[in-house]
Amino acid sequence: MSSWNYVVTAHKPTSVTHSCVGNFTSPQELNLIVAKCTRIEIHLLTPQGLQPMLDVPIYGRIATLELFRPHGEAQDFLFIATERYKFCVLQWDSESSELITRAMGDVSDRIGRPTDNGQIGIIDPDCRLIGLHLYDGLFKVIPFDNKGQLKEAFNIRLEELQVLDIKFLFGCAKPTIAVLYQDNKDARHMKTYEVSLKDKDFVEGPWQQNNLDNGADLLIPVPPPHCGVLIIGEETIVYCSPTSLKVIPIRPSITKAYGRVDVDGSRYLLGDHAGLIHLLVITHEKEKVTGLKIELLGETSIASSISYLDNAVVFVGSSYGDSQLVKLNLHPDAKGSYVEVLERYINLGPIVDFCVVDLERQGQGQVVTCSGAFKDGSLRVVRNGIGINEQASVELQGIKGMWSLKSSIDEAFDTFLVVSFISETRILAMNLEDELEETEIEGFLSQVQTLFCHDAVHNQLVQVTSNSVRLVSSTTRELRDEWHAPAGFTVNVATANASQVLLATGGGHLVYLEIGDGKLTEVQHALLEYEVACLDINPIGDNPNYSQLASVGMWTDISVRVFSLPELTLITKEQLGGEIIPRSVLLCAFEGISYLLCALGDGHLLNFQLDTTTGQLKDRKKVSLGTQPITLRTFSSKNATHVFAASDRPTVIYSSNKKLLYSNVNLKEVSHMCPFNSAAFPDSLAIAREGELTIGTIDDIQKLHIRTIPLGEHARRICHQEQTRTFGICSLGNQTNAEESEMHYVRLLDDQTFEFVSTYPLDAFEYGCSILSCSFTDDKNVYYCVGTAYVLPEENEPTKGRILVFIVEDGRLQLIAEKETKGSVYSLNAFNGKLLAAINQKIQLYKWTLRDDGTRELQSECGHHGHILALYVQTRGDFIVVGDLMKSISLLIYKHEEGAIEERARDYNANWMSAVEILDDDIYLGAENNFNLLTVKKNSEGATDEERGRLEVVGEYHLGEFVNRFHHGSLVMRLPDSEIGQIPTVIFGTVNGVIGVIASLPQEQYSFLEKLQSSLRKVIKGVGGLSHEQWRSFNNEKRTAEARNFLDGDLIESFLDLSRNKMEDISKSMNVQVEELCKRVEELTRLH
Amino acid sequence: MWEAIQDRETGRIRSNSFANRFKSRRTLSLQLDNRKDFLSPHRGSVNSLQVDLTEGRYLLSGASDGSAAVFDVQRATDYEASGLIAKHKCIFTVDKQHESGHKYAISSAIWYPIDTGLFITGSYDHYIKVWDTNTAQAVVDFKMPGKVYRTAMSSLAMSHTLIATGTEDVQVRLCDIASGAFSHTLSGHRDGVMSVEWSTSSEWVLYTGGCDGAIRFWDIRRAGCFRVLDQSVTQLGVRPPILKHTSVSSKSAKFSSGGQNGLKTLQSKHGGSQNIKGSSSAKTSVEKSRQKRLHPGMLSTLDRATAHYGAVTGLKATNDGMYLLSSGSDSRIRLWDTESGCNTLLNFETGRIQTNKAMQLATSDDPALVFVPCMKTVKAFGMWSGRTTLTFRGHYESVNTCCFNSSDQELYTSGADRQILVWSPGGSTEGEMVQDEVAEDKDDWSD
Repeated sequence: MSSWNYVVTAHKPTSVTHSCVGNFTSPQELNLIVAKCTRIEIHLLTPQGLQPMLDVPIYGRIATLELFRPHGEAQDFLFIATERYKFCVLQWDSESSELITRAMGDVSDRIGRPTDNGQIGIIDPDCRLIGLHLYDGLFKVIPFDNKGQLKEAFNIRLEELQVLDIKFLFGCAKPTIAVLYQDNKDARHMKTYEVSLKDKDFVEGPWQQNNLDNGADLLIPVPPPHCGVLIIGEETIVYCSPTSLKVIPIRPSITKAYGRVDVDGSRYLLGDHAGLIHLLVITHEKEKVTGLKIELLGETSIASSISYLDNAVVFVGSSYGDSQLVKLNLHPDAKGSYVEVLERYINLGPIVDFCVVDLERQGQGQVVTCSGAFKDGSLRVVRNGIGINEQASVELQGIKGMWSLKSSIDEAFDTFLVVSFISETRILAMNLEDELEETEIEGFLSQVQTLFCHDAVHNQLVQVTSNSVRLVSSTTRELRDEWHAPAGFTVNVATANASQVLLATGGGHLVYLEIGDGKLTEVQHALLEYEVACLDINPIGDNPNYSQLASVGMWTDISVRVFSLPELTLITKEQLGGEIIPRSVLLCAFEGISYLLCALGDGHLLNFQLDTTTGQLKDRKKVSLGTQPITLRTFSSKNATHVFAASDRPTVIYSSNKKLLYSNVNLKEVSHMCPFNSAAFPDSLAIAREGELTIGTIDDIQKLHIRTIPLGEHARRICHQEQTRTFGICSLGNQTNAEESEMHYVRLLDDQTFEFVSTYPLDAFEYGCSILSCSFTDDKNVYYCVGTAYVLPEENEPTKGRILVFIVEDGRLQLIAEKETKGSVYSLNAFNGKLLAAINQKIQLYKWTLRDDGTRELQSECGHHGHILALYVQTRGDFIVVGDLMKSISLLIYKHEEGAIEERARDYNANWMSAVEILDDDIYLGAENNFNLLTVKKNSEGATDEERGRLEVVGEYHLGEFVNRFHHGSLVMRLPDSEIGQIPTVIFGTVNGVIGVIASLPQEQYSFLEKLQSSLRKVIKGVGGLSHEQWRSFNNEKRTAEARNFLDGDLIESFLDLSRNKMEDISKSMNVQVEELCKRVEELTRLH
Repeated sequence: MWEAIQDRETGRIRSNSFANRFKSRRTLSLQLDNRKDFLSPHRGSVNSLQVDLTEGRYLLSGASDGSAAVFDVQRATDYEASGLIAKHKCIFTVDKQHESGHKYAISSAIWYPIDTGLFITGSYDHYIKVWDTNTAQAVVDFKMPGKVYRTAMSSLAMSHTLIATGTEDVQVRLCDIASGAFSHTLSGHRDGVMSVEWSTSSEWVLYTGGCDGAIRFWDIRRAGCFRVLDQSVTQLGVRPPILKHTSVSSKSAKFSSGGQNGLKTLQSKHGGSQNIKGSSSAKTSVEKSRQKRLHPGMLSTLDRATAHYGAVTGLKATNDGMYLLSSGSDSRIRLWDTESGCNTLLNFETGRIQTNKAMQLATSDDPALVFVPCMKTVKAFGMWSGRTTLTFRGHYESVNTCCFNSSDQELYTSGADRQILVWSPGGSTEGEMVQDEVAEDKDDWSD
C-alpha cells in the first residue's frame, strides 16, 4: 500500500517572484531580499558581491513582499503577505541573526471574490497604512498608529471591478492611491482616491486619466520632487501628475518588471517579456517634468523583478531563466549592449516536463528537465551525489591499498602512486608523456604488501610493511633507516603522518615512532588488552605535520579510544555498542570543528565531536552509509577538506553550516581511494574499484549537480530512448520577430553530447503536445511517437491533430507513419503493445498494424468518452488512470475480450488536475490547480456499484507548488539490501523549479514520523508566526481540510538542523533517543 | 486551450485565472444538451431545483404534483442510441403516494447544506418536511400558518441549522431542525413572503422579499430588520469629490436631490435617516444614535420603502456576498449592493417575466452572469452590463426555476412543462466529434 506518503524537496524553488532592496539587517548595510515563492533569501551587499545571510522557508506562497520603514526606526521592516491571506511584518534581530515577527495576522474575508490578476500589497510611502487588494471590489486597509504599530484592518469598497494595479502616490497630504483598471468595455483608465482613515472610506482623488493604452498594466509612482505616476503600456508610456502629462511611444513590448535607479525617481529600469532591459528617464528642469526618454540597454534573462543595488549593479530576478547580477556599463560593448552579466543564479523553473534516465548506467537516476521558457529555454541535467570524471584507468586486480607520494615534501604535486597488493607493492609514476608507468623506489620493499606509506619531513618517505618501518630519502630513494618489528610479532595496522608513525602489532602492542632526519625513533610503546583493529594520527591541530592525538579502534570490546601523543596515554574510551568491529577511524576537522569518525564493518559510520584539548568525545551520531566495511580517507578539493568513505556505496563527508553532510559518489563500489594531485591530473583522486584503478577529478562537493544545456528555444516535452541513446523533445522555436509565426519542432538529441542530431519541423500552427518512446507488439523496433495539435487562432479548442511515429535510423528521425486525430493529443502512453492517446475529451487506443504492402500504420481500436479534457494519462497493466482538466481522477479498464475501454471508478470532486501518477495497483496520486496533492484509492471491495464506482480520497496535502509532472524514479543510487532502497519513490517537477520526491513509507515508519512531525511543529516556529499545520492543509475554493496521509519531509529533516537542546526536548516528548532519531531522519535524507 | 494549458505549465498565467478563463468559456457556450436527459417523474409544474452543495452531484427537484425527486447528474442510469444519449432516471421520488408525502404542490425543495443526508421540502399544504435521503422518510415536519412559498438554509452556517421560510403569512419563521421548533418569527412584511435567501458572507444575515414589494435584511441575532431596500436609494455620488468631502451636510443634500418619487415623499419624515442609511458605512454611527430613540423592532415596521413595484418574486445573493439580485412582478431585475443597500440602477433587459409565482434565479461567477426565467425562455444577463448574453429556448411553457451547477458549468431549468432541461457547455464540438467518430469507424469497417 502506498497511502502513507512522505513529501520532500530535493531541489528548492529557484524561480524569483519578488525582490527588494533596503537597510534590513542594519542601518548601514544594504540588503537584497529575494522571494522565491515559498522561501525568502536575505543577501548582504559587499564590495565582493552578494553575500547570503539567511535562507528561510515561509509557510505560504508569497504574494507580496515590501520593505518599509516606520517612523522612528533606523532600519527597514519586511512586510510579507501570502496567497492564503496571511500577512506578517518581520524585523532582523542582529544578535541571533534571525527574523523576529513584529506583527502578523489574517486578512481573509468571507466577502468578495479572489482577484484574478493577482494580489496587490502596497505600503504608503509615509507609512500611514498598508493597502491590500485581495478580493475584487474591496481594498483592505491596515492603518499604522503613531508608534508604527498596526491597527485593526477594514475594507473599503472599490467600484472598479477589474483592477490591474494599485500604487500609493508620493507627496500627498493624505494617503492617496492610484488605481489602474479596466471597465466593462475593456477600456483602461487610471483613477486616484484619497484614503480617509477617519471615515474608513475613499474620497475621490485629485486627478484621473481615462482611455489609456490597451496594454497598460503597470503603475510606477514617482517620488518627490516630481511626484505623479508613470503608466507603462504596451505601446506608450505616460507620465501623469496633477500638473503635467507626458506621453512617449515605445516599441511594442510587455513590461514585466521595473526597478527604480535614483532616489529622486528620475530613472527607471524596465524589463520586458523578451528579456530586454530599457532605461526610462524623466527629464526635468528643476522640479518641472519636461519629458520622457527611453533607451535600450541590452538583454538579460526575462525579468520578473528588477532591483537596482548600487554602483550600477542590478539584480535581475527571473522565473523563466537564471536570475542574474548585472552591471550597467557607461559605454556599450561591441554588440551595443550596456549590460554585463556578473553572476548567474541557477533557476530550474518552470519545469514543464522531465524524464528520469540513467545515462551512465550505474543504477543512479538523473533527471533531465525542460526548464526555462522562451529564449531562456534549456535542458538541465540534475544529478544527486558527486560525480567522478574519469581521466585515466588501468586494469589492476586485487588492490589492497594506495598512497600517493611526493618527490619532496615541498612539491606541489604528487609524483608516485604506491599501490599495494596481497604480496607485492608496485609504484606508479607519471612519465614524460604523462602516462602512468611502473617505476621503482629502491628503498621500498616491493615483494611484500605495504600497510601504509606517507611523505615525511626532511624529504623522506616512510613505508610500513608487516615486518618493518622503512624510512627512505625521496631524493636519493635510498633506505636511510629501518625499524623492525620485534621477533615473533608482525605489524597488523599502521598509520603515519609527516613526522609520526603509529603501528600496532599482534597481541595489542601499540608502538609510536617519530621520524627524524634519517632516523626513526621508537618513542613510546603501550600494551592494550585487545587487538587493535584500526588507528589514525591525522594531524588536526595547528601543526600540519604533527598530531597530539591518536585514535584507535579495538577488537573484542568494540571500542574506540583516544590517546595523547607522544605519551600514548589513554584519554577517552568510547564503547561503540553492537558486535561489529570498527574498521577505520579518522581524526579530521571541518569548519574549525574537530571530529572523530569511526566506520564499522557493516557500513555504519559513527561520528563524534572531538574536543582537541581534552580529547573528550561528544554528540555521538550514527548513520548507515552502505553495507560493506568502510575505509575513510581525507582529501581536499577547492581548498576545503573532505572525507571519502570507500565502501559499496562510496560517500563524501563534508560540512556545511557546521553540520556534517553525506553525499554519495556516483560510483558503484570503491575499495580504496587516495588523493593524487599530479601535474598531469591536477586535483584528482586515484580510485580502486572492481579490478580497475581509475584516476579522475571530482565534482564540486554539493548535493545536487545541475548541468545546463542552453537550447535558445523552449523545450516543452522530453523523453529518452535508451536503445538509440537519444532524447526526443518537442520544442517551440524562438521567435526573432513578432510577425513570424511560431515554429514548433520535434528534435532528436544525443544523450551524451546533448547536440541536436536531427530535427523534424511541424506544420504551421502545429504544436507538439506529447512525446513517447515505445515499441509495439510484433515489431522489435523502438519508435518515437509524437502527438500534436493544430492550434488555429479562430478555434477555441483544437479540432485536429496528428500522431507521428518516427524511427531513429543513422541518427536521423524518419517518419514511419502518421495518423490524423480529431483534436489535440494531450498524452501518449504505451499500453499492452499498443498506443493509448488522450485526444481532447476522449481516450483512444490504436493498434500497430501491418498493411499488405509491408508498411505499418496506426489503426484505432477502441475509445472512451466522458471527459472534459483528458490531459494526463498513466497506465498500469490493463488499468488507465486519467487526470481530467476539471473532473479529478478517473480509472478506466481495458477489456481484452470485448476490445473496449470502460470506466471503472472516478473521484467525483471537482479537482482541476495538473498531473497524475499511479503509485500502486490501488492508489493513485494527483496534483491539482490549487497547489494540492491528493491520493485516491480504488475500492474493489465496495458492497454496492456506487461504492465501487467511486475513488475514495485517502490523502490530501497542500504542497504550495504547481506540479507539472510526476515520474517514478529516484535521484539516488538504490541499494536493494538497504531498508531505504525498498521504498518506492516518485519524483515531481514544478513551475517554480522545485524537484521533489514523494516516498511511500511503510505504515510503522509513517506513524513514527507523524509523531515526530507533530513534535517538531511545536518546536520549530514558522517565520512570521505562520502555522505549519494551516499551511499544509488541503485548500481549494470550496473547502479546507487538514492534511492527511502525507508528511512534510522538509520539516522532518530540519530536525537535523536543530540545536542539541531542542533535539533533546523532542527526544523526550517522543520517548526516543536523540541518536536513534538522528539516524532515522538521516536515513530519510538519503531518499533525495 | 492547448496554449492556455502551456501558459499554466510555465506559470505565465495564474492557475486560478486559468480555471476561471476555462469556466467562463464553457459557461458562454452553454446550450441545450441533446446527449443528457433527465427523465422527469413529475406530473406538474416543476417549482424548485437545487444541486447539492457538497459534491455538486445530486439534483433535487420539487413539483406541483407534490412530488420531489433526486437525480444523479454525473452518472447516467442507462444509455440510449448506442451509448450516445445518457438517460438520468431519478434515484428516488417522494410523492403523494408516500405515507408522509405532501398533499399539495411542493414549492421549494432544498438540500441540507452540510451533506446530502437530508433534504427539506416546503409545500402549499402548509407543511415543511425534512427528509432523510437514505431512507426517503420524513424525519421532522413543521406546520406553517399558510402555504409555503420558499425555504432556505445558510450554506455558511456553522452554528445553526435554521430553515428560513417564506409563506402566505406576513411573518418569516425560522425552523430549527435541531429542536424541531420555530426559533424566530420575523415581523415586518405587510404581505406574504415569496422569497428568502441567506447571506453568502454572514451566517446570521437573512434577506427576505415580500409580496408587499419590500426586501428586508435581518440579522437573526438582533431584533427587527436592520435594512429595508429602497429602489430610489442609489449609489450615485456616494463618494463626494475631494473638494466637498469635508462637509457632511452637502452630502445629504445631494442625496435628497437624487431620484425622488412618490413613495419617497410619503415617508418624508424618515427621509433623513433613510438617506444616511443609504450612504457609506461611515455614517452608521449617526444612524445608530437616531435609531436608539425608537425600539429597534418598531423602527423597521414603519419603513415602507419598496424594492419593486409589486411582489418580490425571487432573491439571489451573489457568491462573493457583495450583491443581491431580486426579481419582481414589475418584470424588473435589480442588483443591490448589500453593504450599503443601494440600488445599483443597472438595467437588465428582461422583457416580461412571470409575475404570479415565486421564481428561482441563478448566478455564475465566470463570467458574472445572472440566469433569469423569462416566460418560456431563460436569459443570462451580464451582471455588470445588464445585457442579454445568452438566451435559452427549449421549454414549451413558462420556466420557473434555473439552477447553475458551478462545478460542471451546467444549467438546469424547469417549468410548467414538467421537463428538467440540461444546458451544457460546448455541446457542438463534442457532438461533431461523435459523428465524426462514427464516420471514421465506418471507414475502418470497410477496410
